[in-house]
Amino acid sequence: MTGQPPAIPLKAKDYKSEIKPVWCPGCGHFAVLSALTKALAYLALPREQTALISGIGCSSRLPAYTEVYGFHGVHGRALAVASGLKAARPDLTVLVAGGDGDGFSIGGNHFLHACRRNMDMTYIVMDNEVYGMTKGQASPTTSPDWAQSKLTPHGTGIPSFNPAAIALASGASFVARGFSGDPKSMTQLLVEAIQHKGFSFLQVLSPCTTFRPEQKNWKKEVHEFSGETTDDCVAAAQHIQIDDGMGAGIIYRRELPVWQPVVDPTHTVAELTRGFAL
Amino acid sequence: MNISITSPIESVAEFLAHAEALELESVESYEQLADSMEVHNNPEIAKLFRKLAHFGEKHAQEVTELAKGMTLPEISPWDFKWSTPDSPENASMDEAHYLMDTHQALEIALINEIQGQQFYASVAATTSNDEVRKLASEFAGEEAEHVALLKQWQANLGNQDALPLDDLDPPNIPE
Repeated sequence: MTGQPPAIPLKAKDYKSEIKPVWCPGCGHFAVLSALTKALAYLALPREQTALISGIGCSSRLPAYTEVYGFHGVHGRALAVASGLKAARPDLTVLVAGGDGDGFSIGGNHFLHACRRNMDMTYIVMDNEVYGMTKGQASPTTSPDWAQSKLTPHGTGIPSFNPAAIALASGASFVARGFSGDPKSMTQLLVEAIQHKGFSFLQVLSPCTTFRPEQKNWKKEVHEFSGETTDDCVAAAQHIQIDDGMGAGIIYRRELPVWQPVVDPTHTVAELTRGFAL
Repeated sequence: MNISITSPIESVAEFLAHAEALELESVESYEQLADSMEVHNNPEIAKLFRKLAHFGEKHAQEVTELAKGMTLPEISPWDFKWSTPDSPENASMDEAHYLMDTHQALEIALINEIQGQQFYASVAATTSNDEVRKLASEFAGEEAEHVALLKQWQANLGNQDALPLDDLDPPNIPE
């Protein structure tokens, strides 16, 4: 990748790498990859000025399949890595991707604080309500009565995590939900999320064809979000509670102060090293 | 699903922009499915999807030829006028499975080609531009040929390979 602007505008395929995805045929993540590359092309984001950071899991393989800078990080720590990158390189467009297990279980704490910190980045969670890479265990968003895993033969019995409600309560300034079965709308949501100044959170319902084949029915179940997009967090919270979790659209959008540490270029490495001295 | 368009297409450039996107996305999806089938050790279906990608490639080349010297409009990904959430020949890719057999793969392809045909026919039926109508009718005709060919392949297959493939050592058994 070079710093020169391309002579011809980039197409979506120019943002895809040569690496073949190992996702199962029929996986919803293919549509997320396609929508993301279309969004990047629409926004004409320079590849060398864009970074995609992920954690661990099927969805976290996304950076390998895109032709932007990427970092396939540690389980649950994608937001920590991305926050560090954005702090050091505020000029970059920072995108973060992962799954429901990575983001809401081991990465749950990072999720809360990334929302309230409101750094200018976009977090895409490809939610299939299961740990797919480790062969189908219940995740935080799995419904309590899902009994298809040997680890939870009678279901977890625990109410599922509500990502939109938690993001809103934690201070995220953009909360939306999309569906991989509706790539047109998902691309638009991605564009709006990336354009938003602040932390934008996009939960994408993305069926797991292998361990949750019943999710093929999501095509019939996903609907337009029942509430209007609002900048009123109380109204957004009410809309989220009324919605059945399958409503797609922008739920909440508000301009809030963006946290970005001031970089002092006069600092020397020696000074920085002294700062870490015990 | 019966494909229609959200509003009439009234210029050749707009029509070709739609056709180009439709055909290229079809090629990309079939190639992607073929890659995915190779990764999951289903070479026969991978080969079939490559062949189907070739259909789209020929059509895409035809569109490129027709568009030579023209400036096609830039259409936002969500503003394409097909009524489906995805482009018409891309709509049933999520029905794929790594253990699918030839019957199932052909069924997916058939749905896609029928939807492509319906889209072009819908453009021809709603436009007031004679040139667009002529082109769209030609394209619909070519898609109809693909539909007929796929149906012929299905008929030739008969009951052979009708049972779903079984994997005695599945890579993805739930634990």
